[in-house]
Amino acid sequence: MLNTTIRRHAPFWLSIAAGIAIWEIAGRSTSQAFMVPFSTTIVQLWELVQSGVFIRQFLDSAELFMTGFVLALAVGMPLGMLLARVRVLRIGVEPYIMILYATPMVALIPFILSMMGFGFAPKVLVVFLFAVFPVIYNTVEGARSIKPELIEVAQSFRSTEWALWRDVMVPYTLPYAMTGVRQAIGRALVGMIAAEFFLSSTGLGQLIMTASQNFDTAGVFASVLVIALIGVALMRAGLAIERHFARWRQ
Amino acid sequence: MNSSVTVAAAPVASAKPAAPRLPGTFWPRFIVGVVLVLGWEFIVRWLAPPYVAKPSTVLMAIPRVIVDPAFLAATGSTLAAVAEGLAIALVFGTVFGLFLGRSRLFERSVGHYVNGFFAMPMVVVLPLFSLWFGYSPATRIATIIFAAIFSIVMNVADGARSVPREYLEVSRAYRAGKMSVLFGVVLPSSMPYLLAGFRLAAGRALIGAVIAEFFLSIGGLGYYILYNSRSYKHAEAFVGVLLLAAFGVCFELLVFWATKRFMPWYRRER
Repeated sequence: MLNTTIRRHAPFWLSIAAGIAIWEIAGRSTSQAFMVPFSTTIVQLWELVQSGVFIRQFLDSAELFMTGFVLALAVGMPLGMLLARVRVLRIGVEPYIMILYATPMVALIPFILSMMGFGFAPKVLVVFLFAVFPVIYNTVEGARSIKPELIEVAQSFRSTEWALWRDVMVPYTLPYAMTGVRQAIGRALVGMIAAEFFLSSTGLGQLIMTASQNFDTAGVFASVLVIALIGVALMRAGLAIERHFARWRQ
Repeated sequence: MNSSVTVAAAPVASAKPAAPRLPGTFWPRFIVGVVLVLGWEFIVRWLAPPYVAKPSTVLMAIPRVIVDPAFLAATGSTLAAVAEGLAIALVFGTVFGLFLGRSRLFERSVGHYVNGFFAMPMVVVLPLFSLWFGYSPATRIATIIFAAIFSIVMNVADGARSVPREYLEVSRAYRAGKMSVLFGVVLPSSMPYLLAGFRLAAGRALIGAVIAEFFLSIGGLGYYILYNSRSYKHAEAFVGVLLLAAFGVCFELLVFWATKRFMPWYRRER
């Protein structure tokens, strides 16, 4: 039992250890301006955490992320279901949504900056724009795959439109929409950092920017490491959510 | 009741002759387009300062911008960088992905690094890359490659993992060498995955190029947009956004077409 656990997990931990070793050696054998060893990065990170800077910036970023992301869900899901329900609307709007989905949203950041300035709202708008289209797209796809029989039966029992949405549309579509939610999590994270870089500098983005402007390589490495870990954690969470809901798929 | 039936039946109907459906799709699209453009025009006219881009000024700017040598140079520079970065990412990503998908040991030891880099928002590597490669086009290429390569690796690895077992058994029965199996059997069979990965990668590469130009202030379409919008020439800058959107859509259409043309047997799951 223990043996199989070790055998299964050994390559993972070995490769993590190897990665850290390579990082450490590479950091020690090059100039400190280019790369710092793992140990220095961890020390730097610990200092950031202890001084309270890190927690404050993290909470700042989390607030931005959650606001934009929740807004994207609150707009994207109802809109996606509405589009799936009203055929004319879907046909009319779909190509434009596809175009916006394929447009690199970062290109809009300079416009948002010069129209809305440096507040919290423009940054939320950036996160929202990054996240909303995968939600709409996947919700439409999910809602379109509802079996027509389900809606027909509901209608033969004279369901009201409201009851139809509550009992058929929403429960059926939700698992599919979660694919969009997973994609949106990743894109919202990119939007968050981009907003913090190119609009007013706050949060984890500011942490990196300040470190990079002060040529504080250890600071850059520490914040990049943290953001990479956050990215992995969020992606895992997204996959877990998707899998949890996938059990309801038919 | 009728309307609900047609909603769900639409994908089936679209596979049949398209001629009777044409008026059904054209008018809603046209009307929504007109409403969007007019709505944008009038909202900006009433509420926003005059420099903000609106359809009429953007339209007027198009003939001026597309003959502007600065704009053409910027477009060429960005496109060349994206093409170069994508080509590098495609070659190395495919080879790496094939090994990752076929070797269990490799997958167990390197797989989570690939996952981790894929999950990392690519914007954060910019300060690091600018430290390593300077404020130069080299950093832009590196960012594009970083943005693009992991989605190709992951998709190709997925494809290599799902090669039908019989293919491998037959090639083993004929004593095919390891490399010729990998590139002669596994690679062609994971082609649809490769294309799906390429589609993702192309979008990410465009984003990578634009943010790199924002960050580094080096010449290109992203910098053209940044520069013009800073000097309150929003209409000119917006032409750049339109061009970027057109590239994004073109990539999508290209991959869609290639999948249909070269892999007619392959159907996407949805």
